[in-house]
Amino acid sequence: MSTQLAALSDELAAAVKQAERHVVAVHARPRFSSSGVFWKPGVIVTAEHTIRREEEITVTLAGGNTVPATLAGADSGTDIAVLKVEAPGGPGGPPHTDAPAPGTLALAIGRSEDSGVNASLGIISACSGEWRTWRGGQLDRYVRLDLNVFPTSDGGAVINTAGELIGVATTALSRIAGLAIPVSTIERIADQILTRGHVSRGYLGVGLQPVELPDHHKGLIVLSLESSGPAAKGGLLVGDILVALGGRAVAETEELQGTLESHAPGQTVEVAILRGGDSRKVTITIGERPRRG
Amino acid sequence: MHAFGEVAEKLRRSTVQVHPFGGRDRGSGSGVIWSAGGLILTNAHVARGPDAEIELWDGRRFPARVTARDPRRDLAALRVDAPALDAAVPGDSHALRPGELVIAVGSPLGFAGALSTGVVHSIGTQWIYADVRLAPGNSGGPLADAHGRVIGINTAVVKGLGAAIPSATALDFVRNGARPALGVSLRPVHLGLQVTEIDRDGAAAIAGLRVGDVLLGRLEDLHAALDAGSETVRVRFLRDDTRRVRETVVRIGARAEAAA
Repeated sequence: MSTQLAALSDELAAAVKQAERHVVAVHARPRFSSSGVFWKPGVIVTAEHTIRREEEITVTLAGGNTVPATLAGADSGTDIAVLKVEAPGGPGGPPHTDAPAPGTLALAIGRSEDSGVNASLGIISACSGEWRTWRGGQLDRYVRLDLNVFPTSDGGAVINTAGELIGVATTALSRIAGLAIPVSTIERIADQILTRGHVSRGYLGVGLQPVELPDHHKGLIVLSLESSGPAAKGGLLVGDILVALGGRAVAETEELQGTLESHAPGQTVEVAILRGGDSRKVTITIGERPRRG
Repeated sequence: MHAFGEVAEKLRRSTVQVHPFGGRDRGSGSGVIWSAGGLILTNAHVARGPDAEIELWDGRRFPARVTARDPRRDLAALRVDAPALDAAVPGDSHALRPGELVIAVGSPLGFAGALSTGVVHSIGTQWIYADVRLAPGNSGGPLADAHGRVIGINTAVVKGLGAAIPSATALDFVRNGARPALGVSLRPVHLGLQVTEIDRDGAAAIAGLRVGDVLLGRLEDLHAALDAGSETVRVRFLRDDTRRVRETVVRIGARAEAAA
């Protein structure tokens, strides 16, 4: 029946209307604007790769007003940037924090100065657990989109048909599809940016290489050691083989980085190593990864 | 859900293919049956000549006469002498909301009656943008809402989005006819708008303008002057010598005739 189709159409338009009040246009790069989403009153999150300048950033709000914004901080690893504005406007209702099932209808909502709010429709094509981006950050979930994320909608809201926020759209983390940066990752990263101005990541100060062990397990051999770095202070030596960190086996360097992600600098962690064929445990106080630039 | 098929089937019967006569430039477009009495709307860039041939959904072909062309809004009206056509139902483009489902029918790349679906992306000042996949043969065909009501005429693909002329603009064209035009193609250059093509019998040609002349001023101002309702428009332009500003008076006359 075509009335079913009309009902679906109305539902989609209503979801866009509900979400659009919290979606802004972000002017922080040449040629195309991008979009952003109100996260808290006065706080907007967007995709970091669309922020190409640190000053003279403006945002166009739902009412059509364009106001100045300041960059509170950004994390290229997770492609999240946080902007502050002195304008009324807060987040929408509670976000959708559960994993969206593949096949769920989803809309990408953006805004541009000329044509106002815009929408594209598709589905969540895949959803799985924690995922490390090629930029080095950790997403709590890999949420792949089968929908068009147009340049001006990059950094905008990905919502379900109930109008609930699933995440922030980004085209920079995957070559084959747009992704939604999940709400839980935004919460974690945006909070750090707002309190510290940047995201700190755990750091050991070691150069590592995967090696195969005689029992077919794998480990990471220490090739270099930053003098007076966290690992050196903890007593690690060049030639030691790391097999576990904080009780989790580490066979690849990415696994180690993923494990470090969940440890804040200053925390101590027990590291299981092989030294001269003997198993040992050392305790390392995790440092903070030096920031580039 | 057979809903899309149901809406699409009705829409398909109100969509025609528009073949230019004299065939050498092969481009065919689409058109919308606007009245059962034989009024068909399409894009001006589809109906370039004085006549065309239209092909109905069932394969019947009829000769058609171009009764009005509005190159500025890219609309044209065709008349066919055919019995009881299935007219489309026009919708209200002013009531459109981003996110609404839309359906486009046309003959992209020659596939007659092909259907594509998507949503309204955004509502621009001139066009409705739809997140729907279109190809050149969709030009002139209908963009309809979830009820199958025509809310736009598919016209172009802009940055991956389908761009459609709102049905309100199409209705204005049907009621009030073409807006006055100079009969030129223009491209922006450093000093103004350069004439790249000129209609032999157009208002600009009659006023003595030629290909290569550079009209001074902005396009919006030129459009505003044309729409002001006076019979003549004063045009300042450059020819050869960029230091000498020339002037001519273009008679646009009252050649607007209702397309219906």
